[in-house]
Amino acid sequence: MQEPPPGLAELVRSAQGGDQLAVGRLLDLITPYVRRLCGPIALDDGADATQEALIVVFRKLRQLQDPAALYGWVRAIAVREAVRCANRAARSRPAELGEVPAPGDPQLAADIRDVLSRLSPAHRAVLLMRDLEGLDERQTAALLAVAPGTVKSRLSRARLSFRKAWQQ
Amino acid sequence: MTDSPTPMPQWPVADFDPVRRLHVIAATAPGAARIGETVLGAPFERVWALAQDLERTMPLWIPDVRTVRLDRPAPSGSLPTTSLRARIHGHTRLRATFGIDLAPGWCLMQSRLVLGGMAARPETDRTTRFAFLGGLRFPGARLLAPALRPFTGDPLARFAALLEEEQDEE
Repeated sequence: MQEPPPGLAELVRSAQGGDQLAVGRLLDLITPYVRRLCGPIALDDGADATQEALIVVFRKLRQLQDPAALYGWVRAIAVREAVRCANRAARSRPAELGEVPAPGDPQLAADIRDVLSRLSPAHRAVLLMRDLEGLDERQTAALLAVAPGTVKSRLSRARLSFRKAWQQ
Repeated sequence: MTDSPTPMPQWPVADFDPVRRLHVIAATAPGAARIGETVLGAPFERVWALAQDLERTMPLWIPDVRTVRLDRPAPSGSLPTTSLRARIHGHTRLRATFGIDLAPGWCLMQSRLVLGGMAARPETDRTTRFAFLGGLRFPGARLLAPALRPFTGDPLARFAALLEEEQDEE
């Protein structure tokens, strides 16, 4: 996750007060992070997911009480919107892999896009939160609004299942 | 020989552009904002050179703008975001000081009551997607939506005509 830059609190307060130039500058600041979250989850629909996530962020901005919590708050919205957007777009493209590859699996480094395209959007979100954002199962479960056991089962027996599918 | 470390995965990053960013502003600005977009038959550099020449060209394509006076010259080229102020007078009652953020492919401006913006991105080597936003910043502005028509009605068509006109002159 990102370190809040100096002056962030003032920028958030101005944007919450309806200053649209502040909204534009805040958009500039958080868009790269939202793109990095939406890309791996929504893949080809990443641009739509980014736009929808940013719209939700700025519609709800007045609900953010602590500007220092901005990036965690944005992350929760972006991941949910990306999963929603990808699910909507992916109804005709069923996932092939039932599990998420284990940490450090060399195939992740070799062709992560191929791995991602074979997972469901929710599984991609679990993988992204674990490997890129460093969240544990409990935090990931809270972010995705599912039971911790669900995340655990998505991550378990990963290597075997992943390897089988990869080698086919 | 040592083992090379496992390379880090190159996670895909979602595309995004200024036109999409202007849609986010239009969808979330308080008051009432309308956005329109079109694809112009000219490369991005040509389109943006015309659009960012605010003092000269805004009165030629934005219906209610008569004069634009910047507090200092707008930079040309590819500088990151520059903040400017402008005094804008209209043909009707518009008479206001605007704060402006200007960057390649991006311009957002607001006065106390009015919000305006334009955004552009290359569509192909020879075409450019161009968006224009006009809005009113006060509560209840949605009730005045018809009042926005002169601001958003045909500026895109006027901008396209101006672009064509200036291309013909070259």
